[in-house]
Amino acid sequence: MKKSFFVLSMLLVVTMSAASVAAELSEQRCRELVAELQPGKDALWRTIPWRLSVLEATAIALEEDKPIFIWAMDGHPLGCT
Amino acid sequence: MRERIREYEFGAHPFDREQVKAELRKAADGKRDARYTLKPPAGGLVVRVHAKVLGGYGKPSSESAAVFQNALARDNLWITAEEQAMLIAGRVPESLQVRIARFHLVDNTRGEPPMWKSEEIRSLKIQLRNGKISGSVHLETDDDARGYRAELRGHVLSSGNTVTGFELVALGKFFGEGAYTRNAPDGRFPLAVTFQLADGNDVADAVAPQGARGWLDGYLR
Repeated sequence: MKKSFFVLSMLLVVTMSAASVAAELSEQRCRELVAELQPGKDALWRTIPWRLSVLEATAIALEEDKPIFIWAMDGHPLGCT
Repeated sequence: MRERIREYEFGAHPFDREQVKAELRKAADGKRDARYTLKPPAGGLVVRVHAKVLGGYGKPSSESAAVFQNALARDNLWITAEEQAMLIAGRVPESLQVRIARFHLVDNTRGEPPMWKSEEIRSLKIQLRNGKISGSVHLETDDDARGYRAELRGHVLSSGNTVTGFELVALGKFFGEGAYTRNAPDGRFPLAVTFQLADGNDVADAVAPQGARGWLDGYLR
């Protein structure tokens, strides 16, 4: 009896926990999260006209007579936050 | 940097423009390493993926630690033409469900994260009904060192043969960290991951997904 009660209680806790997360993720909450998880438009680094190809950047730099700023690392370009 | 720009403007570092142009032409005609020139699948979709830890951190030990604690991660999800057609038909193909789980429901807010192995998907169900997406996922390593349980919700919009809107949110509790994502919050912490169809206006939209680097076939299968 005690064991059954324990199992039932645990099942209830798991079910309630899942339900709680689901309830947390309402359509309204989704909209809020999508809006919150956006990079700031005013961030200074976003004002740099980035190029993914150093060849393309070199050609543009030559045309516009501007130096190139290179941000390089050995990982994924988006992987180091 | 201002000093270097001034040096450039004053011609402190002269170079032969014609020689640079010739080198560029030579490079443009040369063979490219396919590992670094990955392109999205033809007829497919690019979806922006953002992730953020919503709480659980202690007081940051430094300014840089605070930056990581507040970081917004960015990656891209690639969807194939076949998967797009299935979304329009009202199904989330298993290949796409698995790709989302393995390569995008990760905590990449402090650096490059370990992706999930197939066997670490304990449960995964993402369904599409009347344009609305719902689902749940449980990911966990065998050694119980890292895991994520989340609910998913979103929607798909389409017009003709094209998906015109794709939005998905995963919200749940994550625990653990990877070799390059140290200093995660202790215990279980809230992690949100959002997906939004890219419009191509951000240069980052053209970056290949992290999970596809050097393993495009494995990523897209």
